[in-house]
Amino acid sequence: MNFGGSILLVDDEAHIRKFISLLLRHLGVKRIFEAKNGTEALEVYQREKADLILLDVNMPVMDGIDTLRGLKKINPDCVVVMLTSLANRQTIDDAVRNGASNYIRKDAPFEEIGRALAETIDTCFEPDAPDPGAAPPP
Amino acid sequence: MDESQNTPSIDLKGRSILVVDDDRVNLKIIGGILRHEGYEITEAASGEQALEVYAEFRPNLVLLDVMMPGIDGFATCRTLKKTYGETCAPVIFVTARSKADDIVMGFDAGGVDYLTKPFRPKEVLARIRTHLSNQLLLEQLSKANAAKDRFLGMCAHDLRNPLSSIRGLAELMSENAIGSLTEEQREIVNTIHGASQSMLQLVNELLDVATIEAGHLKLAKEPTRIADIVNRSIRLSGIEAAKKNTRIEMVNKTKNPMIDVDRNKIRQVVDNLINNAVKYSPRGSLITVKINADETSSGFSVIDNGPGIPDNERHKLFKDYGRLSAQPTGGEKSTGLGLAICRKIVEAHRGTISVENTPGRGCEFVVRLPRFK
Repeated sequence: MNFGGSILLVDDEAHIRKFISLLLRHLGVKRIFEAKNGTEALEVYQREKADLILLDVNMPVMDGIDTLRGLKKINPDCVVVMLTSLANRQTIDDAVRNGASNYIRKDAPFEEIGRALAETIDTCFEPDAPDPGAAPPP
Repeated sequence: MDESQNTPSIDLKGRSILVVDDDRVNLKIIGGILRHEGYEITEAASGEQALEVYAEFRPNLVLLDVMMPGIDGFATCRTLKKTYGETCAPVIFVTARSKADDIVMGFDAGGVDYLTKPFRPKEVLARIRTHLSNQLLLEQLSKANAAKDRFLGMCAHDLRNPLSSIRGLAELMSENAIGSLTEEQREIVNTIHGASQSMLQLVNELLDVATIEAGHLKLAKEPTRIADIVNRSIRLSGIEAAKKNTRIEMVNKTKNPMIDVDRNKIRQVVDNLINNAVKYSPRGSLITVKINADETSSGFSVIDNGPGIPDNERHKLFKDYGRLSAQPTGGEKSTGLGLAICRKIVEAHRGTISVENTPGRGCEFVVRLPRFK
């Protein structure tokens, strides 16, 4: 996967953050920020402006959809991919209506999670557009 | 021995009964008998009043006189059934006449039983007890069922997520994501991966059965080509198959007609049938997945080299926990739920699933799904 940008990973469960961040590093992502709830996610996003946000749906304090709305308020163009454990049509529709670009089943085998991520990056960051965070072409 | 000692005692004290009769003497007699047993009694002197009182008190049982001025007992019962549907309390008719026609009419109107005047107190109490017990048991059953659904929902989150992390982390380790492993470390990591994988599958299958049984299976249908789903499943099953040196090939001579299905659900059926074929075929087999189509349906069949289905076990095949005598050939796990889930998913799509033994060895599972209109 050719992605030089940064990713903000939001999930309340530490083991999921561990798994997904290891997977991201394995896929070559260098800059990963983590947040364990929606409030923290908004804070980190204000500060770090990650290129891509992976956002859990079910979280205490502030759920995924509310967090998504908050993120879109900060930056309407931010790219958000929802992390779900059960593909619940209603939730996915809700997320898409609120501006999510895609969703990933975090209980899928890791090749599939990797493929879904790569697909999102391919569609949301056009190859002609300068790769966010990549070194300028020589 | 007293017969009542054989029936499990269910505490019915405080259960409420609505007694409807235009005859005050009758109300008094029957009210007295029932209050003495510890039931809570509400009275109504007509059908009209019964409907009002019912709405307010929501009794557990209704004792309803047939012959009353105004709307009679049958009409009252029909109105109650229409208004409250499934949740309506059982209705026992009380009639002075013992003509068979009356009794049939009472059952037609939605009654569960009848009592004839003059009352024999023992009979009245026995019948009331029976229906109140049934009603209470039904209530408890539906509560228990709801509790089971909640519990399974909890499993969904509290077991699935950690399990998928364990599996994912083990997968990443075996991919050398944190550096290369020694032979022994790799073996351990693969064991962790295998064990979490089969637990995850078991949890998923139990959840599927629960969801389907509770009538919560929702299909998000869209026009789809079955060959696309099959291709993907073959690709994903490739790893397991390669371990057994088994090849999977797809044969497609159709024009790829569209079917109207929930892709994720049908994917699950295809995955399951292909995995089974790999699981029960000897090492080095060839498994064929054939795409089929006719005027009204399109689907696929999976042809394996397994032992086939013994005739005397055929009836168990698509039932819950219907494990047969055949054993996986590579030590794989089986929950006995897979084919039951496949059948439920296919039938929810108004399709069919069947199996035939192929001449020689092995069998062919055939799935047909309605074409997109």
